[in-house]
Amino acid sequence: MAAAGSVRAALQVAEVLETVVSCCLGPEGRQVLCTKPTGEVLLSRDGGRLLKALHLEHPIARMMVACVSSHIRKTGDGAKTFIIFLCHLLRELHAITDKEKDSFFSENIQTHGRHWKNCCQWKFISQALLTFQTQILDYVMDHYLSRHFLSIFSSSTKERPLCRSSLEMLLGAYFCGRVGRNNHNFVSQLMCDYFFKCTACESGFEEVLELVDDCFVELKVGVTGLPVSDSRIIAGLVLPRDFSVYCPADGDIRIVIVIETIQPPFSTFGSEFILNSEAQFQTSQFWITERTKAIMKYLQKQNVKLLLSTVKQPDLVIYCAGLNGISVVECLSSEELSLIQRVTGLSPFVLPQASSQYELSNTAMVKFCKPFILRSKRYVHLGLISTCSFTPHCIVLCGPVQGLVEQHQDALHGAFKMLRQLFKDLDLNYVTQASDQNCTSSPLIYKNSRESNDLPEIVNGSIQRPYQDTVVKNKDELAKTQTYLKAYSNLVVPSVELETNILCSTPTVTLTATYQTDATLRCFSPNKARIMDDHEPFIESNSANSTTENTRREISYENLQVTKNARKGSILPVRDKSLEMCTSQSYCFSSVPAGCVLPVGGNFEILLHYYLLNYAKKCRQSEETMVSMIIANALLGVPKILYKSKKGNYSFPQIYIRALHALQTNQPMISNQTGLESVAGKYRLLTSVLQCLTNILTIDLVINIKRQPQEIYDQDSEEEL
Amino acid sequence: MSRLEAKKPSFCRSEPLTSERVRATLSVLKGIVTSCYGPAGRLKQLHNGLGGSVCTTSQSAALLANLPVTHPILKILTTSVQNHVSCFSDGGLFTAILCCNLVENVQRLGLTPTTVIKLNKQLLSLCTSYLKSEACGCRIPVNFSSTQILLCLVRSILTSKPACMLTTKEIDHISTLILRAFLLIIPENAQDHIILGKSIIVPLKRQRVIDSTVLPGILIEISEVQLMKILPIKKSDSFKVALFCVSLSGDLSDTGEGNVVVSYGVSLENAVLDQLLNLGRQLVSDHVDLVLCQKVIHPSLKQFLRTHHVIAVDRVGVAVMEPLSKVTGTRPIGSLDSISPSSYGSVKDLCTAKFGFKHFFHIIPNEATVCSLLLCNRNDTAWDELKLTCQTALHALQLTIKEPCVLLGGGCTETHLAAYIRHKTRSEPEGILRDDGCTQTELQLITEAFCSALESLAGSLEHDGGEVLTDGKYGHFWSVQADSPSVVNWPDVLSRCGCGLYSSQEELSWSFLRSARPPFVPQTCLPCEATDSAGNLTLDCFTAKLSGLQVAVETANLILDLSYVIEDKN
Repeated sequence: MAAAGSVRAALQVAEVLETVVSCCLGPEGRQVLCTKPTGEVLLSRDGGRLLKALHLEHPIARMMVACVSSHIRKTGDGAKTFIIFLCHLLRELHAITDKEKDSFFSENIQTHGRHWKNCCQWKFISQALLTFQTQILDYVMDHYLSRHFLSIFSSSTKERPLCRSSLEMLLGAYFCGRVGRNNHNFVSQLMCDYFFKCTACESGFEEVLELVDDCFVELKVGVTGLPVSDSRIIAGLVLPRDFSVYCPADGDIRIVIVIETIQPPFSTFGSEFILNSEAQFQTSQFWITERTKAIMKYLQKQNVKLLLSTVKQPDLVIYCAGLNGISVVECLSSEELSLIQRVTGLSPFVLPQASSQYELSNTAMVKFCKPFILRSKRYVHLGLISTCSFTPHCIVLCGPVQGLVEQHQDALHGAFKMLRQLFKDLDLNYVTQASDQNCTSSPLIYKNSRESNDLPEIVNGSIQRPYQDTVVKNKDELAKTQTYLKAYSNLVVPSVELETNILCSTPTVTLTATYQTDATLRCFSPNKARIMDDHEPFIESNSANSTTENTRREISYENLQVTKNARKGSILPVRDKSLEMCTSQSYCFSSVPAGCVLPVGGNFEILLHYYLLNYAKKCRQSEETMVSMIIANALLGVPKILYKSKKGNYSFPQIYIRALHALQTNQPMISNQTGLESVAGKYRLLTSVLQCLTNILTIDLVINIKRQPQEIYDQDSEEEL
Repeated sequence: MSRLEAKKPSFCRSEPLTSERVRATLSVLKGIVTSCYGPAGRLKQLHNGLGGSVCTTSQSAALLANLPVTHPILKILTTSVQNHVSCFSDGGLFTAILCCNLVENVQRLGLTPTTVIKLNKQLLSLCTSYLKSEACGCRIPVNFSSTQILLCLVRSILTSKPACMLTTKEIDHISTLILRAFLLIIPENAQDHIILGKSIIVPLKRQRVIDSTVLPGILIEISEVQLMKILPIKKSDSFKVALFCVSLSGDLSDTGEGNVVVSYGVSLENAVLDQLLNLGRQLVSDHVDLVLCQKVIHPSLKQFLRTHHVIAVDRVGVAVMEPLSKVTGTRPIGSLDSISPSSYGSVKDLCTAKFGFKHFFHIIPNEATVCSLLLCNRNDTAWDELKLTCQTALHALQLTIKEPCVLLGGGCTETHLAAYIRHKTRSEPEGILRDDGCTQTELQLITEAFCSALESLAGSLEHDGGEVLTDGKYGHFWSVQADSPSVVNWPDVLSRCGCGLYSSQEELSWSFLRSARPPFVPQTCLPCEATDSAGNLTLDCFTAKLSGLQVAVETANLILDLSYVIEDKN
């Protein structure tokens, strides 16, 4: 198979997949019914699951599905968008190469016509894509997009308290694309309640998310045959089994965990027990009984009321436990055990060697332990007292059929994964090209900005108001200094710029004098206009103290702290280079802070589209321009599908034009959607798609092998061969 | 040997509901469930061509469990009905028919699924809030000081299962038995929350239904040979009981993972038997009168116990272990040496009884909440059906205790509810359409589909070609015999409405259920005296029906929302 065919083939495959997944995308998406080979039915809107259920044969399709699943495993979101985006990228590429071919034939030889020929051409493009992904994307994200970011946290202090309403919006949007239309509000409310109930203190939510993500299977109970609205949250842990023996107890209950049978076995593994007489047999049996009784007595003396066992205990142990008023739960799975251990910090009980009198150390307390009946099935309900920031709660998920329960369960699990990703910082690093004339001066300025960066640390974020006044007053002056900074060092992260400027207005006065000439040179640059509007939100926030504006400010602070370290690290190489006479490259490290979100409805895509086009216009290298254009156009695929069914004012062209207009005139973008989505998730998705695309492009031959899969041969047949 | 094989690609179909085949299969399923519905429902005979017993039934539980369904959409429908039945026992056919009707009606409209689902959900919440409200005109509160309503409920359930093959007299008898069995399991001194006991259904096939009976306590079936050994039982007012969950057969218990080497001449059997006899001695010295064992008792131990006038009954099985330990107050013993005296329990009386051709050992407890319902019926299939019905009725009674009200049966709830929704959507559509972006026309269309689904559900109670009517005051359901003259004075041919609450003597404006009628305000708030005076009402379990309604609408929404079906062919 020729390489040129590989894009066409990939496009065909991607288009087929697109038609399947696009029907479930977004709030208007519908359900897909999957049957398992066992005959069970499953409802799903989860792109990853659907793609897997298709069992595709085509090699490229299988590769795509593999890419999607590895992305999903990491982030828990974005399978459908992945396919749609990939499909649009391929479509754009295909269109461009068709055009190139035409021109190739008509004009015979062009200057870079040779680049765009077959294999070389694809390799070239894939390299360009890679460069884009590693350099341009991060740069654009950092420089342009970051000022649109909102944050999920309601204030900028160290504890970063979560804003409930933003979290609700985020989850609402997530479940809109995951569960049936009549249930998404209910499920997202349930998830929100669950999250806040489980989080004991404000700061520990990362730990909670990690634990819930890891142990979600143990934290939910599925019930079929009841309406979905009967789902609820229960305090404590519910284990899907009945007590082997139940003795009611009040107050705080002491528990122990055992991982072996309490009754000593007759003989252990690898040993031999020689019986010489009947009396010996009877004595040893007697000893076993007495020993078991002694251990149970000991546990009772230590006031243990509940025994959790990972193994099945013999009848004798159960009987003795009952006599001593100890409840027993047997056959805990290893996952349940590890969850209990994580929550309580309890380690398994080691059987005492002799009849010991010492205090039992490995115990934990539970608030209650009682049978719990759901749909006439009995469960064990434990009120574990947590030693970490996770307060144990369980979700009871109800639904008329198992398939629906599973869908909700998967969606909830995915949501926890998504949140976990959201609360991580996303590192961006890229190389900036500093222009020749100012590379000598850049270290100077750089130092300067560093000094000024130290200032906010001293003053700290506690008094933010005064600054804003300064902003208004020194608006003109600041705008100027801003430009200098911008001009001399591209290193400064835009969101930090503002803060820096407010504080470093004094030092820059001197700077103005020194580098007057350069400043005037740069004054024409589009930066100026941009910086002016950078101030706008601040002025607004003086009058209207809306949450959006607030959060905006917090991000800046966050950025400040993160970037500071990075900059310290980067100062040395920059200085070296400038001494060597302007190699004009500097590495920049930045990050998208944790909790960054954007409104849903293709906002991210349209923004990135706009800024990429802008970037492409400024670019000198043709392939960079081309790749940026391709990606910018492909990005619009998702919002196009989202607004497909909308008419009139809410149709896609209308929305698109309004958004572009707003961006050009520096007005805030107005979104008619209420949901939010994670920026980091979108960014990761974009990079995963680009990686997948480069993979596809670098393949030049698909070799079809007509043989059974390798693993089918067992040991014998291999030897025969 | 496990073989790894390449998976076959799945089969993917878009817009499954539009295909003619799916519609046809759905209507076949609908035909099956509809024809089973109600007291006049037709029976279905399910038999497997490869062998096995023939099942004659009209109950959804038995029907759907045996019906092989291949299409995934039907599978969703049937599993959701089965899950509902396993939760509430009652209302399976109701759920299935309503769901089929809804899917069929809504599909005809051709509206977008989003609108349909939103509005269906709104209408459902309108229904549930009305049914739960005090003003509901088809709900009767249950007065536990009289058994009248409970008896009506049980009788309605029995009547609606024609495959039990009961005569009116037999229905009366069985419903009294069921109610008595239910009352026996309610503890006498109830605290803040009641823990109900258990009624065990004991099979006694090929006997007359009239021979069925209810006994307090537990019946354990024993063979005649065993019975000979047990006799006679001494007279006493209390018997001491020991209940073993461990085997007393003398087999060696688990010896661990290592090897056990036994020297020549050492007999472990003797050693264990010695141990068992020691146990026997202890039991005798503790003055135990009755030894019950879940598993097998060694013949020597049995013999030993008999010579000391201790009754031994073994192989009682794990099913009765819990009720046994509950009625006797014993703790199941899991040890062969030294039994703690606190593990023993006691019973009031012991006797043997013979019902039909079977012998039973009857344990009568001091005060307990366990009873045995001896159920007789002529043949196996009818007995199976009757047993299912009894379980349904007992479950319905339990649910009624939790939620003390019942709904009118006989189709009246459905027609009344339809009339209420029609009136509500016509009079205040703004309240329903609040922020959904749906138009009034869409609401009217969906309302019509929803209400006619409810009404044709009620209409499917009539199987003999008769006409179905509804009145313009209460919105109840009336049916007319098939052979009644065409031009009629309605009060002459009608006697009572479906649930039996109203008689035709009142001047009500009747009209055909299928014809278009002007919407009217159905009279809410039942008159108290009406519920007291009417002797023989047809009633339905409130919780089961409400949940059935919810599940039906949710499942229909689910089916309507499907855009693709992916079938894994592996």
